[in-house]
Amino acid sequence: MADTILVIAEQREGKLNRVSFETIAGAQALAKQTGWTVEAALVGGAAGADELAKTALAKLYVIAGDTVAKYTPDGFVAALKAFIETHKPKLVLLPHTYQVRDFAPKLAAQLGAVLVSDSTGAKFEGGKLLFTRQMFQGKFSADISLSGEGPWFASFQTGAYRGDQVEPGTAPIEDVVAASGEVRTKPEAPFQEAKAAVDLSQAEIIVSVGRGIKEQKNIEMAKALADALGGEIAASRPICDAGWLPMERQVGSSGQTVSPKLYLALGISGAIQHIVGMKGSKNIIAINKDAEAPIFEIADVAVVGNLFEIVPALTEEIKKAKA
Amino acid sequence: MIFRTPLEGIDHPEMEADVVIVGGGAAGMACALRLSQLIDAHNAAHPDAVLSKENIYVLEKGREIGQHSLSGALLDPRSMNELLPGWQSEAPIEAEVSSDSLYYLTRTGAFKAPITPPPMQDHGNYVISLNRFTKWLGSKVEEAGITVFSGFAGSELLYDGDRVIGVRTDDKGVDKNNQPKGNFEPGYDLKSKVTILAEGTRGSLTKALSAKLDLNKDRNPMTYGIGVKELWELPAGRIKPGEVIYTMGYPLTTKEYGGAWIYGGKDNTISLGFVTGLDYPDPRTDPQHVLQSFKQHPFVAKLLEGGKMVRYGAKTLPYGGWWSMPPLGGDGWMIVGDSAGFLNSQRLKGVHLAMKSGMLAAETAFEALVSGDSSARQLGTLKQKVDASWIKPELYPVRNFHQGFEHGFLSGMLNTGLLMATGGHGLRDRYPGHPGYERMLKLWDVMGHPGNREQLTGWAKGDGKLTFDKLTDLYHSGTRHEEDQPAHLIVHDLNICSDRCAKEFGNPCQFFCPANVYEMEETTETPSGKRLHLNPSNCVHCKTCDIMDPYQIITWVPPEGGGGPSYDGM
Repeated sequence: MADTILVIAEQREGKLNRVSFETIAGAQALAKQTGWTVEAALVGGAAGADELAKTALAKLYVIAGDTVAKYTPDGFVAALKAFIETHKPKLVLLPHTYQVRDFAPKLAAQLGAVLVSDSTGAKFEGGKLLFTRQMFQGKFSADISLSGEGPWFASFQTGAYRGDQVEPGTAPIEDVVAASGEVRTKPEAPFQEAKAAVDLSQAEIIVSVGRGIKEQKNIEMAKALADALGGEIAASRPICDAGWLPMERQVGSSGQTVSPKLYLALGISGAIQHIVGMKGSKNIIAINKDAEAPIFEIADVAVVGNLFEIVPALTEEIKKAKA
Repeated sequence: MIFRTPLEGIDHPEMEADVVIVGGGAAGMACALRLSQLIDAHNAAHPDAVLSKENIYVLEKGREIGQHSLSGALLDPRSMNELLPGWQSEAPIEAEVSSDSLYYLTRTGAFKAPITPPPMQDHGNYVISLNRFTKWLGSKVEEAGITVFSGFAGSELLYDGDRVIGVRTDDKGVDKNNQPKGNFEPGYDLKSKVTILAEGTRGSLTKALSAKLDLNKDRNPMTYGIGVKELWELPAGRIKPGEVIYTMGYPLTTKEYGGAWIYGGKDNTISLGFVTGLDYPDPRTDPQHVLQSFKQHPFVAKLLEGGKMVRYGAKTLPYGGWWSMPPLGGDGWMIVGDSAGFLNSQRLKGVHLAMKSGMLAAETAFEALVSGDSSARQLGTLKQKVDASWIKPELYPVRNFHQGFEHGFLSGMLNTGLLMATGGHGLRDRYPGHPGYERMLKLWDVMGHPGNREQLTGWAKGDGKLTFDKLTDLYHSGTRHEEDQPAHLIVHDLNICSDRCAKEFGNPCQFFCPANVYEMEETTETPSGKRLHLNPSNCVHCKTCDIMDPYQIITWVPPEGGGGPSYDGM
């Protein structure tokens, strides 16, 4: 029997991950050089199977069952381990997705196999399969050859092959019941990327605090002012450095550059590192107890005074005016 | 506070190497280029036994080659004439030295020395930007087919017993809590036959190697100065390209060692800086303040009027000299350049010596590649090569120069005269030396000192035109680091800072650091009411803290590669 290349296609939440086509294209390219057969397996359900079956594959297996209906590393590894032990592919190719990063090392380890992860391409030269992998942050490319009997595992970086260049065809679909094993984890709701970090560059009004705020609890006072104005809260570096506000709210050379209509600087002395991040603001109001503070050189309105007296009063007045 | 320490249980990918040069500065690049030349010549003569250059690597922690290279700089062309004859036609040169003069400054006066003392005569030398020069040298190295990994620091040496068998590069993507982030990439283990330490002043790997192998045994401790530099653009015609001015005296008193340089470059730029010896007695001394006060002296203020400061930087320089140099080679390793102390403190020049030491190390490494012997027996011959070269006739006669200044400026000048008359011998062949931090006095001892020190103690205020506070200067160093990483200034006992040091020395780190890395913040949690706060991402990699801390509890290690100053044009 000829050697086979098995592509593990990915579907999540009933949706096919398009990057699977890239991996199939990579497998097909290798198959041309080696003369091996390409097969694919879709784990977890039939979603997307019809679309995958329109590619030049010798066979498409749909592995389904209770333990793989929802993704867990244990469930996937048990099912794929049994499947690979039965079908004995020479080479297993996967897209280098988050999910693959999660289960593929464990799968390879359980089979006593080697995984070449995140490769940018593959070729067959002089009877040897070579995978290209970047080193030194892309300054070097290393060709890695595999020895031993296999199965061999490799994952492809997104973009290593082009999904739209996959060779079309018709693949017979075979349903496989997932072998079950102990699943020790319970899947929660799928992970969502955190809401996009606050984009201060779009804010029209920014209330920004500096060292003069003295204590973490005083941030609330500044927040109240920002809320009353309908603006965003921001800070100079020492505040974010101390963890009083998240780093994404830092304005300055090591943070964000902003140009709101109004920038209210509370207790910010105005080191150049901060100034370069906010000097494009249309109107700058600075409150600082030190009359010599450099922030006053660029402020449109300079208030020399105690911010702990001024800010609460200002907040009240704004609330009144808006009411 | 969490400090950068090696992560446990991480697999590091390995790569075989023939030679790894740690540090892509003048010494490292001259070494790489010379090695390439030797291999080319060998391969032309022995086509049947060619040596490959593929496995020779230079590690450079800066984002780009030259970004961390800072010096005055005046270049004595001797090494370049040997390395690349005719180099002047293509190298970036600011100007050929056209005149030199030496002044002694009092608080308001400037007295010109009737003749410039011979060691400070600079005819035939060149004003260069070490940044531009190193970048150019680096391009030659890359053209020659040697791989330079910029953005990669050497973070640890790899050993087999006492033998150095390579270098581990820095781990990328480690967060503030010393935990791997999503983009974590472990450092590489470069298993190398020969490892050459060309890290520059107070190299972190060199320091670790010295401690492990006790390399400082029977040697004078290395002493250092810190050079704080600004690059200025002046109105046209203010100074000639190639004009060289040295000053001694103000703002330092007779208790401190140091002096200033002013070099005229091209396009009306000047390099201006002040070296303060890191053996000053007053713990409140602030070398960045010293430079600001120097600029306020009428002699300098007149020169700078109407000009603009465009760049800032600081770096230490080793001037312990001959008796402080460590052994230069051992099993698997060699040390060159500033890391070994190749600097002539009397002539205030080191680039040519650093390069020459690198070239000699290249010859030594080449022989090792040919013979297959990279043991101490082979690599130790670097010392013989240095002794047989022009380095020794230059450095040996000034072997006691700096030690002569341990008792102040006047006895130092007298001693210099004596040394010059006796061929460097003086009263005995080897003057002892002491590490500079040992000379720092406790606060209660300096309080009784006569005054007139406000121009060099405490923070400079800055007027924003002629003088600058430290943060403003720092901004002009272009320093950038990944913010989310552990502190690379490892303070081994924070209690000493808040308790003993606060009382005894008043936390000199706040003053000697030219980049505002060290701050004492107020707290209710310590008896002294003070606590150390670090701003590691301000660090300009000058190493002053590692050198001058009076308790020697600070260890500087490289932060994530790619971080640090951007010394464009410096």
